[in-house]
Amino acid sequence: MKSNKIAVVLFLMLMVLAGCGGSGGGSGSPGLSVEGPPVAGNNVLTISVNGSLCSDNPTYPNEPCVSVTICAPGTTNCQTINDILLDTASYGLRIFNQAIMVPLTQVTSGSGLLAECVNYGDGSSTWGPVQMASVILGNEPAVQIPIQVVNQNFGSPSTLCTSKNSTPDTSPFEAKRNGILGVGLFVQDTGQYFSCSGSASGSPCTSATAANANVSNPVAALPVDNNGVIVQLPSVPAGGAGSASGSLIIGIGTQTNNTVPSGVTAYGADQRAEILTTFNGIQYAGFIDTGSNGFFFPNPSATQFPACTENLGWYCPPTVMNLSATNTGASGSPSGIVSFLIGNADSLFSTSNQVFGEVGGSAVNSFDWGLPFFFGRSVYIGINGTSSSLGTGPYWAY
Amino acid sequence: MKKKVCGVLAGLGLTAAALGVVQQAWATLGGPADSVITDRKALSAVRGGTTVQPGYTVQEIITDATNVREYVSPAGIVFAIAWNGMMHPDLTTLLGSYVAEYQQALQNTPRQMGMRRSEVRGNNVVVEKWGHMRNLQGRAYVPVLVPPGVNLDEIK
Repeated sequence: MKSNKIAVVLFLMLMVLAGCGGSGGGSGSPGLSVEGPPVAGNNVLTISVNGSLCSDNPTYPNEPCVSVTICAPGTTNCQTINDILLDTASYGLRIFNQAIMVPLTQVTSGSGLLAECVNYGDGSSTWGPVQMASVILGNEPAVQIPIQVVNQNFGSPSTLCTSKNSTPDTSPFEAKRNGILGVGLFVQDTGQYFSCSGSASGSPCTSATAANANVSNPVAALPVDNNGVIVQLPSVPAGGAGSASGSLIIGIGTQTNNTVPSGVTAYGADQRAEILTTFNGIQYAGFIDTGSNGFFFPNPSATQFPACTENLGWYCPPTVMNLSATNTGASGSPSGIVSFLIGNADSLFSTSNQVFGEVGGSAVNSFDWGLPFFFGRSVYIGINGTSSSLGTGPYWAY
Repeated sequence: MKKKVCGVLAGLGLTAAALGVVQQAWATLGGPADSVITDRKALSAVRGGTTVQPGYTVQEIITDATNVREYVSPAGIVFAIAWNGMMHPDLTTLLGSYVAEYQQALQNTPRQMGMRRSEVRGNNVVVEKWGHMRNLQGRAYVPVLVPPGVNLDEIK
């Protein structure tokens, strides 16, 4: 009996060892998958956090993936592309040229071809032509909109989109995704537009206006469910999960599956897409972002939030910390307290799990409510200038 | 023959002068503050406000896409710059003599997916970027040029 027990313990230890070695990456045995309740309707996309809709690339913790269908404009010549990052802090659909198999229609700019340079907070950039596509979200009607085809070899990238100034997205493998679906608070993106004399690498590009061809939030182009989205993700247990799945529901109060229950509070954002977040007695610009993979905020003290030794920029407190911050609408009201946890990122990321609710890191002068904020919540994202029972966008509500 | 060479040299000189004007439309990091005054129009930039703080002065420059703030020491040297806007600014202009060092360090800085910030550290210069669409922010500074008593949290 005793020897049996030892054998079981040894077996369990081996199992644990077999799960080691992955640094939040794909190695090791897959951990528990947590799944939110299925939502029926034509306006629903599955959100897969480090799950089946993410690619086999070595991935990174807390990556929310969706699939999007694009078609040659106005046709049924379509393809469905997985591993598109769901991003509530940008606006517009961007897909690597390497992932696109259907013919899209180039948008012209004067006598040239319209291209765009977009910069991101992490110092990365996307460059490439603006092309018309029919875009299908879930089983919504197709909408014909301009998207950015990410292609560093198109024309001559603007200096802000080269390695002189940024880290350009060059391939799905390097970026660990096929594209970005930006369904945040605004309609149009804020990149810089150019007119290129040709598509061949090296063709000159000069500054231009997008005219009416800004790359823009596909949700805003829908005939009905065009006032925003709801991000629903399940709770993630302490210590994390192997993967998680939930729903991106399109429209707010436009169908039976997206009605707003009582008790949801809307926090109006400003034209910078920010609210106010007070943490440790200091008020910061706050934003709520599926594309950020942790809670990122300025460190009140290095002793309270020691920096990790293996994962740069992350916090590694010796024990899980129970914290709270107050969100306030950009106009000064309403206000509400949000509780959150910060654990040790080095030890969490060293397990075979990839989805974590209690991870965070440092930020400069801002409070970034990343993906862990969404776990166990429905978050309503109201598009600028549209309205619902929650008010007029831009707002976040939860 | 001599004349021709002189003409070519004069031409080169003019080109260099023209480039110099464009470069100095922004006062560059580590450079003198008075370089900010010249031809801002070349970059569609206009001069914003000047703020005097204990230990330094902040000069704001506004373009369509980005607001840049230059932090000038009592000795008249730009020791830091900070920005926010729709795009990050062209650092090949703003970083002055630190450009090559920055670009080298950028190549050697691994990307951290999922974070909305990056920190690039060269031997002498630090460049940080953060933010999101509609409010991209950043700062660059030369630690040895930061005047004593100035807290880095003030550069934002």
